[in-house]
Amino acid sequence: MKNRLRVLRAERQWSQQDLADRLDVSRQSVNAIETGKYDPSLPLAFRIADVFALTIEDIFLRDPEEQAAQ
Amino acid sequence: MMNVADAETRQTARPGLWAGLFAVNMALIAVLSITDALEQPVPVILIALNCVLLIPMVKAALRRMEDKGAVTTAVRRYNRRFLGASLLYAVSMIGAGTATNYIAANSPLMWALAVLPMLPAFGMIWAMMRYLAEETDEYQRHRAVQASMVGLALVLVLGTGWGFLETFGLVPHIWAWWVFPAWAMGLGIGMAISEWRHGGSA
Repeated sequence: MKNRLRVLRAERQWSQQDLADRLDVSRQSVNAIETGKYDPSLPLAFRIADVFALTIEDIFLRDPEEQAAQ
Repeated sequence: MMNVADAETRQTARPGLWAGLFAVNMALIAVLSITDALEQPVPVILIALNCVLLIPMVKAALRRMEDKGAVTTAVRRYNRRFLGASLLYAVSMIGAGTATNYIAANSPLMWALAVLPMLPAFGMIWAMMRYLAEETDEYQRHRAVQASMVGLALVLVLGTGWGFLETFGLVPHIWAWWVFPAWAMGLGIGMAISEWRHGGSA
């Protein structure tokens, strides 16, 4: 799943480790989510949204194909 | 982005090297015992000694995980518990393997010795169950479950396959206690696959 984590992090000048600390997960997990290798669970997605003070949909983007299918 | 220090630590932390050495030794021991060049309990003792190699392997793997920022509190706890249980397992294997020569067959003590390795084996399973319960990082938990499934696949598929080969008299007998080391090797392979697929982080 595509997401805007890298951009949002850059805006706040946070490293992956900074975000990991805020989320209480490992840096590798932040990297996996950011690069789209792993889709977070709904609770973790909400935590990510809370950290950035945004909604989940502001951060995670629907796949274009999935959207086209709707 | 990887700086020079990272590159250096990554070069020194090579769990694969230790794992390879361990696997080669295991293969040698297997060949020697299948061809009857070694008689019991010598192979058992050699296998137990070979397990000492797992200590630097685990240390190297841990250092590598640290480099990648993949070590959580639960992982630290799990490593301590699992290493403790595997040391106990090795000790009970060497102990039981050596002592069997001096004990009357079918004596109650023989039974006790034979059952002894079940305790550390249970300890290792307990460590894994605690890890899954304590790990708050869902991605790491997901990877651990996937890796253990590879171990399970290896044990069940190879075990079933070997069992039938043995039934048809095509291969020699293998002791059932091999399930645990085989599962652990599968776990290691699973972790390596996961590292390769998800790796290259940071």
